[in-house]
Amino acid sequence: MAAMREAVALERVTKRFDTVTAVDNLSLKIRAGAIFGLLGPNGAGKTTTLRMMMRIMIPDEGDIRLLGELLSERSQEVIGYLPEERGLYPRMRVKEVLVFLAALKGLSEVEAGRRADQWLERFDLAHWAHKKVIDLSKGMQQKVQFIAAVIHRPPVIILDEPFTGLDPVNAVMVKDIMLELRDQGATVILSTHRMEQVEMMCDSICLIHKGRNILDGDLKQIKQSYGKNTVRIEYSGGDGDFLKAGGAAASINRYGAVVEVKLNPGADPQELLKSAVGHGVRISRFELVEPPLNDIFIEKVSSVDA
Amino acid sequence: MRKIGLVIKREYITRVRTKAFILSTIGLPLLFMGTFGFSIYMATRQTNRTLKIAIVDEAGGLATPIARDLAGKVSNGKPQFELVKTVESPAADRDIRDELLADIQRGRLDAFLLVPQDALRQGIAELHARNTADFSLMGTIDRAVSNAVIARRLEQKGIQASDVDEIVKGVNVRLIKVTEQGETEEKGQTFVVAIMLGVLLYVTLIVYGVATMRSVMEEKSTRIVELLVSSIKPFHLLVGKMLGVAGVAATQYLIWGVAAGTVAAYGGAMAAAIDPEASIPHLHLPAVWMAYLLLFFLAGYLLYAALYAAVGAMVSTEQEAQQLQTPVTLVIVFSFLLFNVILRDPNSTTSVVLSLVPFLSPILMILRIAVQTPPLWQIALSLGLSVVTTTGVLAISAKIYRVGVLMYGKRPSLVELLRWFRYT
Repeated sequence: MAAMREAVALERVTKRFDTVTAVDNLSLKIRAGAIFGLLGPNGAGKTTTLRMMMRIMIPDEGDIRLLGELLSERSQEVIGYLPEERGLYPRMRVKEVLVFLAALKGLSEVEAGRRADQWLERFDLAHWAHKKVIDLSKGMQQKVQFIAAVIHRPPVIILDEPFTGLDPVNAVMVKDIMLELRDQGATVILSTHRMEQVEMMCDSICLIHKGRNILDGDLKQIKQSYGKNTVRIEYSGGDGDFLKAGGAAASINRYGAVVEVKLNPGADPQELLKSAVGHGVRISRFELVEPPLNDIFIEKVSSVDA
Repeated sequence: MRKIGLVIKREYITRVRTKAFILSTIGLPLLFMGTFGFSIYMATRQTNRTLKIAIVDEAGGLATPIARDLAGKVSNGKPQFELVKTVESPAADRDIRDELLADIQRGRLDAFLLVPQDALRQGIAELHARNTADFSLMGTIDRAVSNAVIARRLEQKGIQASDVDEIVKGVNVRLIKVTEQGETEEKGQTFVVAIMLGVLLYVTLIVYGVATMRSVMEEKSTRIVELLVSSIKPFHLLVGKMLGVAGVAATQYLIWGVAAGTVAAYGGAMAAAIDPEASIPHLHLPAVWMAYLLLFFLAGYLLYAALYAAVGAMVSTEQEAQQLQTPVTLVIVFSFLLFNVILRDPNSTTSVVLSLVPFLSPILMILRIAVQTPPLWQIALSLGLSVVTTTGVLAISAKIYRVGVLMYGKRPSLVELLRWFRYT
């Protein structure tokens, strides 16, 4: 069962299109039973990576393991997928589409029908079951599409921008279901640009850029490893020279009343406090904080580009 | 395999229950039968009516032989013509003509024949009729007048017309079609059946080919294809789609086949019940032809559908689709244009070779089968070559399809298309 610790494992995976290397020697482990965030700027290789996990594309080099086993035709059945570009058959009836998609994932059509009814009920779509997809609003179609991703109870669920197009009520409902599925043991892989969602929901993340893994691991640990380096200060008096004294500050970010100071590696935040006292500055707030994921994202990506 | 079955089922069910399918299934045979029934109706109607005519003979002495000639024409037991009036005068005055014209206009008379004074020398006569479209009527009268004038001319030269008749009496060659089943008199029905089968194949190949392309485009443009290929191999999706559409077409053919069989079996009896004198040429339409028709449709459909599907996968917009499908459709149109070559001489080397060439073979071989059934080995070879070609074309199309359905934006150039073959 040791292998089951990882829902998905990529081992030195490379995928090239002509002269472009979309995914470059990418190794990555996604812990089972957790919510995982796959992050990266546009064109980083996220979609290609996801498509390879689902065997829509085959890597040029490297191995991909799903629940401990190399990808095979059967592995497509253990994955649920919500593509970023949404789409259903517009002229088919809602329930028919769901049954068809679930049956393709291996469910019997009877069972698929039963579960489609349950899910439609849960999403308040029960009396739309026999309407054509085209007659549904965009938001309703999003919900139907989400059902299609989870109806066969896949142990691995890939959701590409799951909240776009949902109103706050439905967004909460989808979020709750994601957490519920995680608690039932499913692995949820979330690909999104919305950093605040990642911060709230994800257990671990991977940041890829230009097809490479530039940062991965447990989200709390990642933030902690950064957070020790940032001090948020509110003060009055003095001209702020104290911030530079003592050589503790690596960079200073002024936001009017608040100043964020990123410390040099190994520097003691106490030095900054001493220096402030020494300069006769009155401190009203002195807080060690973790930088927002957004900043980590930008910093990491630009440091690779530099 | 189970997944291909699901794709076939979806494709089949969502198509068969559309109004378009029901309408086309009922509509096309109705159109065929309507045309057929209408022509029978027209034919019987025409022979049932006795045309009232008048003869104005300015030349003199011609009215009697003409009237005699016309009086002999009988169809369905009724005389074809009724001579209402004969005017014989060197120069019929305008009053008589006006009177006859008025009679025609009032419907009391169908036509009047004017034989002018110098008819013998000039060889000209006039038929004034309300319905000038009836060529068979015209032909009969033309012959009667000609006979009368020729007889008079011969008489003037001292020759007995009856002698000449005996000498120049021609021979009537009847055309009898010989088939394995025996002989049937040919009255053009072979040609009609061949054209009917050819047109049917031509229409359905294009209709169902384009339907396959649209189906691929729909999945691509709604992006559902991304979800589908996360569950099923693109090749299986493509094959399932093609088989599903082929099943719809086969259903339609089956319905038509049963309908046609019923008409062939009871149509003659029904027509005879309505009008015992109606002569309907026996349509030679053996059941094995239906099997061939279905077989060649499927062979042609799979070949063309593979191409249409590749076109659908390559394009993102309706305009691009229109442009790119044209060459494929043109190949079908081209084989339709070779109709004449086959019909003129179905067993010439050209016909034989053309009916073996994949892409052209479905329509052309069906024509040959209908006109003069070729040896079985040629039919088998034609099908075999088509199957081999389809396998090759499908392999190429599948590669284009697999990459194309996930590519958005502008249509690929030929160089880009070739690169797609290297993607996995």
